[in-house]
Amino acid sequence: MSQRSSPGPWFAAPVAIFMLVCFAAPIFIVAWYSLMPSRTFGLTGDLTLENYRSAVTDGYTRPLMWSLIGAATTTLATAILAWPTAVILHRYAGRWAAVASALIALPIFISESVRLFGMSVFMMPRGGILAGTMNAVFDIQIGSILNTWSAAQIGMIYIHLPFMLFPLLLGVSLIPADRIEAARDLGATRWQTFREVELPLAAPGLLIGMLLTFVLCLGANAEAAILGGRAVTVITAAIEQRFNYAQDWPMGAALTVIVILVTALIVLPVLSRLDLNRLTRR
Amino acid sequence: MNKDRALKSLASSNPLNRPMQHSSHRRKFLKTVAAGMAAAALPTGLAAQSNRPLSLLTWDAYADPNLLALWKDQTGVDVRYEIHISDPSSVNRLRAGETSVWDFINVNNPWARNIMWPAGLIKDLPRDRFEPLYADMKPKFQMPYKWAMSEDEEHLLGIVQRYETFDFVINPDVISPALAQDEGWDLFNNPDFAGRYGILAYEDWNVMDICMGAGVHPFREKSDEDVAKFEETCKRWIENASFITTDFVQLNLAILNGEIDLYFTGGTYTTAAARLEGVTELYAITPNSGPADGKGGINWIELNSAVNNPDFQESAFDWLEFITTVDAAELVARGNGNLQPVSQMSNPDLMARFSTDELAAIQWDEFDQRIANAVEFDIVPDYDRLYDIYSAAMRDRG
Repeated sequence: MSQRSSPGPWFAAPVAIFMLVCFAAPIFIVAWYSLMPSRTFGLTGDLTLENYRSAVTDGYTRPLMWSLIGAATTTLATAILAWPTAVILHRYAGRWAAVASALIALPIFISESVRLFGMSVFMMPRGGILAGTMNAVFDIQIGSILNTWSAAQIGMIYIHLPFMLFPLLLGVSLIPADRIEAARDLGATRWQTFREVELPLAAPGLLIGMLLTFVLCLGANAEAAILGGRAVTVITAAIEQRFNYAQDWPMGAALTVIVILVTALIVLPVLSRLDLNRLTRR
Repeated sequence: MNKDRALKSLASSNPLNRPMQHSSHRRKFLKTVAAGMAAAALPTGLAAQSNRPLSLLTWDAYADPNLLALWKDQTGVDVRYEIHISDPSSVNRLRAGETSVWDFINVNNPWARNIMWPAGLIKDLPRDRFEPLYADMKPKFQMPYKWAMSEDEEHLLGIVQRYETFDFVINPDVISPALAQDEGWDLFNNPDFAGRYGILAYEDWNVMDICMGAGVHPFREKSDEDVAKFEETCKRWIENASFITTDFVQLNLAILNGEIDLYFTGGTYTTAAARLEGVTELYAITPNSGPADGKGGINWIELNSAVNNPDFQESAFDWLEFITTVDAAELVARGNGNLQPVSQMSNPDLMARFSTDELAAIQWDEFDQRIANAVEFDIVPDYDRLYDIYSAAMRDRG
């Protein structure tokens, strides 16, 4: 008796074709472009690694470093801010949790640029909302961090907090209350309970939040442009410059490939440890 | 138009409009079906032609809702648009194959003649139809106007409309305009203004401005000595900038707020709307002199062109003619709440539509002098080398 072939591949084919055309093919084209001679527009030139060499020798490591530092510090800061927020919302906010979550989520529906321009007006020195109010109400003159890397960092934390908070809420909800009580009954300190019980149980949500925040921040550009006054150049701004004003697609493509590789190197090992089934099993 | 009539005739004989009662209706129905099938057999591009809206890749003045409504009223043709990010990025998009997407593009003067026409990205305009439009423009634009023509002067590449000088902006309460015009770009070389100026990151413009500040003609071939002067000035200017942004409102706010006293690049385009609101702390400056054949200002001229779309629509030509009419030119000049001089302002009918306050906002009393003090925008030789220095200085900032 002949064995019936599995229908699985046929069902998977549309998705596989979609992924190939919409994800794999563009990445392949970008990778191919990165091997073309600098400042050419065709795909048929002689293959060269010159763009990758230039990426290292022409000072592009610095924008990459700023992006990595920005992504890492934002991920850490949002995790520190989001953990207590998630715990309070889950355990103590009761029926107000939904309202509070909605209020936190609401800004996501407003354009990121609009929110950042709002922050810019808030941070502006002298006549800005904060400095002007301090001066008018309390007769206190303060300076401003606007147009510095610190302002860009605050903007990144503000913009990306919800991306950390909501996965973390899911993670915190995986911690059964009786486990915490049991740990306390057995004499664990608050720190031990957090480290040995809560953190491991909420880890899937925390990891997803960290991955999301990190990857989004690595590609963030608006914060450094609007709040940072270009005090530093982040890697996405450098890529944009190559594609746009420099008319140097191959170099822009090489920088893009480098960012993809760095992201993959950081993200894939974390992703491989993530058990999504555990997160979705309540 | 024949296609429109054919479509209307097909629509009017649509059998679904009335019940099929006898054989003559059935025959009509069959004829209609046959006509429909014949239409379907046409090359797909031709069949799609009448359905595609006129597609504009444009600066925001040409996407003004009032302008689009006037066009729709007059022609019935739908329009879709996308606003440029920059001239080079839009030219890139055409290069990347978007000539099949767009019908109209407006970018600064050198792109059409030097890049888009040689690359086959734009279509030439019928000279008998469009050359007479130049007769109604300022004398500067009389035919044969260099930037509207191909290198061999055989082909008309577009219609000129918005234009101005684009140099720098000062707070006249801090620096007198007369002093700024005399000092010109040296204001940014003055150590007293280190940390007191901003940069509007229109980066190709910044490169030209830095050339001016370095005493180098931006549109001439550069010697190694010129490049060295450019590099020194570029690093110093970028390092000494209070902040750099792509948003001129931020720079205007910073001047109002006393954070900075001046910024480059800027001009009527960045100040007119605020000046019209009564903001007197913004003043566009074109230097009286400079290293570009004795001139210190740079004059851009926007050229409106028809994209060489394989599915070309005649309405693209209609649009190009429409925007030069008095009603449309007024709307372009006021596009999206801004105020911008247009070449048709030599027409008294159009001029009469601007109030004294509006003309004051665009500093109209000195406009011709500013244009006279400016060299026309052009492709920058050695741009790649200069831009790499510029972008490296940007990266070194932090």
